[in-house]
Amino acid sequence: MSAAPDLESYRRQARDWLAANLEAKDPGKAADLRGGGRECAEDYRPERALQKRLHEAGYAGIDWPAEYGGQGLTAEHARVFAEEALHYRLPDLGHAGGTTYGPVGKTLVRHGSPAFLARHLPRILAGDELFVQLFSEPSAGSDMAGIMTRAERDGDAWVLTGSKIWTSGAHYADYGMCLARTDWDAPKHRGLTWFAVPMRARGVSIHPIREITGGAEFCQEFLDEVRVSADEVIGEVDQGWSVAQTMLLVERGAGRDDPVNMPAVEPHRIDPFLLRLAKAAGRDQDPVARQAIAKIHAAEWARAQIGIRVGGLMRTSGRPPGGIASYWKLSEGLRAPERARLLMEIGQGVPLAWDPGDEDGEHIVREYLNSRVWSIAGGSNEMQRNAIGEQVLGLPREPSFDKGRPFSEVLRSAREWTTQD
Amino acid sequence: MDPDLSHDQRLLLEATENLIRSSLSPEVVRSLVDGTGEFPSSARSAYWSRGAELGWFAFLAPEELGGGGVSGRGLCDAAVFAELRGRHLQPGCFVDTNVTVAALTREGTAGQRSEILPDLVAGASSAAWAMADPAGDWSGGAGLECLPAGGGYRLSGLKGLVVDAHLADWLLVTAEAPEGPTQFLLPSSAPGIAVEMLDGLDLTRSLCRIRFESVQAGLSAVVGTPGGAGPAIDAQLQTACVLGGAETVGAMQHLFDMSVRYSKDRIAFGRPIGSFQALKHQLADTSLAVETSHACLAGAARAVEAADEGAAEAASLAKSLIGDAAVEVAHKSWQLFGGISYTWEHDFHLYLRRLTADASLYGSPTWHRERVCRLAGV
Repeated sequence: MSAAPDLESYRRQARDWLAANLEAKDPGKAADLRGGGRECAEDYRPERALQKRLHEAGYAGIDWPAEYGGQGLTAEHARVFAEEALHYRLPDLGHAGGTTYGPVGKTLVRHGSPAFLARHLPRILAGDELFVQLFSEPSAGSDMAGIMTRAERDGDAWVLTGSKIWTSGAHYADYGMCLARTDWDAPKHRGLTWFAVPMRARGVSIHPIREITGGAEFCQEFLDEVRVSADEVIGEVDQGWSVAQTMLLVERGAGRDDPVNMPAVEPHRIDPFLLRLAKAAGRDQDPVARQAIAKIHAAEWARAQIGIRVGGLMRTSGRPPGGIASYWKLSEGLRAPERARLLMEIGQGVPLAWDPGDEDGEHIVREYLNSRVWSIAGGSNEMQRNAIGEQVLGLPREPSFDKGRPFSEVLRSAREWTTQD
Repeated sequence: MDPDLSHDQRLLLEATENLIRSSLSPEVVRSLVDGTGEFPSSARSAYWSRGAELGWFAFLAPEELGGGGVSGRGLCDAAVFAELRGRHLQPGCFVDTNVTVAALTREGTAGQRSEILPDLVAGASSAAWAMADPAGDWSGGAGLECLPAGGGYRLSGLKGLVVDAHLADWLLVTAEAPEGPTQFLLPSSAPGIAVEMLDGLDLTRSLCRIRFESVQAGLSAVVGTPGGAGPAIDAQLQTACVLGGAETVGAMQHLFDMSVRYSKDRIAFGRPIGSFQALKHQLADTSLAVETSHACLAGAARAVEAADEGAAEAASLAKSLIGDAAVEVAHKSWQLFGGISYTWEHDFHLYLRRLTADASLYGSPTWHRERVCRLAGV
């Protein structure tokens, strides 16, 4: 490996490039909540072009392997660039971008074959290939290994049939990282394989799902005898669950810096929005509303402290990082709905009926309706509780009905379940 | 426990653990509760001064008396002691003596600093913090009338919820003088002062009421300046929130560890009960509450230690979160232990009592939340 530039000169160089090439971020613009995102593939063209410029200048995939289009530098370099870029507008590639450069990218680097990586990673970093996850299914949510999509070998290809759901950004993505069952007679976790499925392949149909908010960010896909080249297998055939483990770990936060680097909430500054809301409801002197304001503030402050603690436990507790990460995920999954309910409590009539264009009422309602996204998505609160209970506290598992038995047989006996007495 | 404890902090912890095990072990605490054991005053003095040798009361003192602890962050080090003391339900005015040491270090007169402070640090004497009124108003002068008399002040009224004040040699008393909030350091044996031991929820400590009947307090007893004690009171409350919170977190962790162990040992329906999701999920939530409490305690300790701009708010936020978590953890464990929790013999109730009392001591969660609103100008 060639000598990495030292961090300070790297920082200066990044700072100069950013100033010369990127627009400053508009500080007044709030982050999009779900339900307010872009809907159309065309919208992402300029963002892909921006990603390409970033890549050409050597600022994409900073800590990804150099032989596959990355820069081969350290995570510290990536952090330095992220710090310098904080006030610039980086490419916004929406959910597919977040997935591609987050869980999918990190999982591919770990499990993809050299030929696969050489083919895909440079295009990913250049913004030419965006990936989504084709993981959850209508009948496989929390039970994520209960995949029913089938893949059958046919010559030098595999043929996939089934349905995937809760895919964010599928309508403008180029590939889906798709988990399918390749051996029905193996136990549940053993007969699974990952594929890179071109989203525009024949047999793939994508249907937006209208959501609880009225928006449509998620899609359901149907795969109808989709032919995928055998070169597009990710990891080993029938060994897909170990790949999935990597991905889940990244998603829960163990592989990203999120929990540890939470922006600190200043304990003496209560979000002015809360006070404005209480005033709008005529309740800023009402002890009940004041308690609700302080509860929200306390939880926001605690969030940053929990992040620091989780980081410390990851380093020193000797427990599986996945279980420790579940503290963070569960904490977020409990905080968001509690916060939303307290906002409804403070606002009373404000979020029930508002003048068209009044942003506060609409904002609260959107936050309320989105508040269980992280209690359910990416491993529900209940799954996190199992992980904490079993992996951290060492509690015994529930008896299993599917362990060690052929999956086809498990399905047969499950169907007979309700008729047993 | 803080995952990032230093080597020196671990040594402190170990030494404190040894001291507790050899002099005021859980078995001794239990025998005192049951009225079958004794902790004679000679043993108590030895325990107190051996604790002092480890630095129990030194870390918030001036540097020449051991201030700053082993890490240069005295409050964080003192919190390490407090957590372990809470875990083992230790009685005594540990928090209050530290609050008083810090107060004298910052505000004490030359006389107080040279005559009284060294003995407090050396464990030769102890102090109680008479701040709240008997109903639990922690805002300062509540409960006490304070009028100018005889070149000093005359104090009349009641203070309450003072931890083990019957063991204290000194009282740090807050009153509302005509000039404003004023603090006095008085001998607990001063004429007119009566420390009353009451019955109460917590059986391991006595939350005393202190009666003041025309107590004459000379100007030499004033800590700081008459009428100017506001900032000092605020600083003391922060220290009490951190050290009291640390005791709570220690007790909470111990009760939680007990309940996890029980859920693995207790068999029902042919399985350890901890394998049932109904209980496993409760334990996971409880574990998160314990971890969150540790996290908030550490955050508040850092903020108060550094005298950050938001230190008062951080202390109150942490105290409110830890107080709520303490009661939550106690009740979840209660349900998990089932029938055995209703026996006097099982230690559960000692922790339930301690944790519930802790939640309101030094200000209840509701009181601190309102305080945060006021401090932040809401």
